[in-house]
Amino acid sequence: MKRIPVIIDCDPGVDDTAALLLAYQMPELDIRAVTTVAGNVGVDKTTNNAKKVRKIMGADFPIYRGADKPMFRPLVTAAEFHGADGFGGVEMPVPDDVIPEEKAWDAIYRIAKECEGELVLIAVGPMTNVGIALAKYKELPKLLKKIVIMGGAAIGGNVTPAAEFNIYVDPEAADMMFCCGVPVHMCGLDVTLQAYATKEELEQIAALGTPQAKLFCDVLQNGLKKYLSWGKKGVALHDPAAVLYTAYPELFTAEEAGVRVETKGPLTLGKTVTDLYSDKQFDDHNAFVVTGVDREKFLQKVYDLMEKYAKAE
Amino acid sequence: MKKIPVILDGDPGHDDAIAWVLAKGSQKMDILGVTSVCGNQTIEKTTYNARRICTLIGLDAPMAMGRLRPLISEPIIAPTVHGESGLDGPALPEPAYPLLEMDAVTLMAKLLEESQEPVTLIPTGPLTNVAALLLAYPELKSKIARISLMGGGVQYGNWTPAAEFNILVDPEAADVVFSSGIPIIMAGLDVTEKAMIFPEDFERIRALGNPVAVIVAEWLEFFYQFHRSLGYEGAPVHDAVAVAALLKPEIMESQDLYVQVETAGDFCKGATVADFNGVLGKAPNAKVLMGIDRQAFVDLLVEAIGTYGEGKA
Repeated sequence: MKRIPVIIDCDPGVDDTAALLLAYQMPELDIRAVTTVAGNVGVDKTTNNAKKVRKIMGADFPIYRGADKPMFRPLVTAAEFHGADGFGGVEMPVPDDVIPEEKAWDAIYRIAKECEGELVLIAVGPMTNVGIALAKYKELPKLLKKIVIMGGAAIGGNVTPAAEFNIYVDPEAADMMFCCGVPVHMCGLDVTLQAYATKEELEQIAALGTPQAKLFCDVLQNGLKKYLSWGKKGVALHDPAAVLYTAYPELFTAEEAGVRVETKGPLTLGKTVTDLYSDKQFDDHNAFVVTGVDREKFLQKVYDLMEKYAKAE
Repeated sequence: MKKIPVILDGDPGHDDAIAWVLAKGSQKMDILGVTSVCGNQTIEKTTYNARRICTLIGLDAPMAMGRLRPLISEPIIAPTVHGESGLDGPALPEPAYPLLEMDAVTLMAKLLEESQEPVTLIPTGPLTNVAALLLAYPELKSKIARISLMGGGVQYGNWTPAAEFNILVDPEAADVVFSSGIPIIMAGLDVTEKAMIFPEDFERIRALGNPVAVIVAEWLEFFYQFHRSLGYEGAPVHDAVAVAALLKPEIMESQDLYVQVETAGDFCKGATVADFNGVLGKAPNAKVLMGIDRQAFVDLLVEAIGTYGEGKA
């Protein structure tokens, strides 16, 4: 099988952790690097959390540290959801591995060049590293095959009525990304709120009994409680949706559309404005908006991937 | 049955005209007055059209003209949709009823003061007059039963990807209205693009045979030409939904939502932002119409138009 070379740019983060655990078991993906960014919590913590996940998976991909704040704004975090350490309250010592000095945006460019146009960038945190890479390397868009993100929403928001967290944190970086010429596949709230796991489904995964399965479920517990208290059926697997979409697009529905990011409106700051349903179209259809998922098949895939850790033992 | 006291405020406009035909023809509304607003065309043209429509349908209610332009924003008109006159298509009778000297807002206030019971406002254009009324006569809020408006869209726009025309023309006015605390029924694009009149329905209306029916059929023909160029299979008679929502609420699906209006931004000016996920925890301020029984809506129109006289057909 020809594997897709990917970089996962993330801010672990509880659902980022779940996404990494899943990505590592996908034979379709060749994880060239994980880059970290400030978002759910600060970048020191997201980098430490990436190291913890790498260790528990026994993986050896390199981790590169990225931006400690959005391009033009102070950082907004989501620690109340992800826990003060960004790891959902799960206690785990920080591995003492030393990570390379190379910065996230330099690593993205270098690896993109090495992959000769085949690299898929999966960005599931604020788009700051992507924005800085685009700011520094004008050739970068020609080197990327596509960008798959968790971020935004054609309809609604979760941090404000109009905006989703990842885009809201660094709206300028996100707009630079949408405008860069590389097709952006947007797994926003439209699909990720459909890609939820119920309490029972998480328990089934936990019952696999591996440390990885335990971590997967433990980091999501706080989020699960919140979602259930909001009257939802389960915890949204936001970032896993983007990772699974990259390898298994057939489980999803996506529509080509124009997308831009509002960076000035007081109520709509960070809104991903699509022309998906509007008479008025943007000049450029620069994106694919992922609007649906076959939840049953998606959850089955999540289970199957997590089961591989048990088989590997 | 007791009639609903209403004030019609619009910028006719083909769909305003049909909304007013429905309001009068339903025989279930006590139309206290009619006011014009600039929007689809300049205030001179919409006022002239309003007077010609009233003459056509025998609506001899007090009538006054609105201000020359939106409260703050620059005027926008829609000749591509409604023609240079704002109501292109069939020849109409010249105005037979007088236009009052007073401003639209003064007339609205006078009618509210004189009414024994709270009055329903039906604005089907930009919300300029209604906002000016609320600003100039805050003490009359209690005399307004509700505002059933055509405007906005909680999922998408039409004049820009994010904004619908009526709200985009005067977003500050719309903000005043949505923040007013007065119960709002919002007939936005979410429902009005489903309130589609198909060419075979035009014929059903024309076959009623009375002079109003023939003209409504021709208005629909004209209105359809523009929409057909955008790929519509019929004419969405947006404004008539704001009237139908009062006559037959049972044919609508709705969602109670907290809705705010964005007044600035690169892409979102004029967007009606709904808090679908309850991020703000605010009580709903609008009944947002999301769906309609199309056939029942057409039947309602046909029945109302039939009251304008026996046809020759």
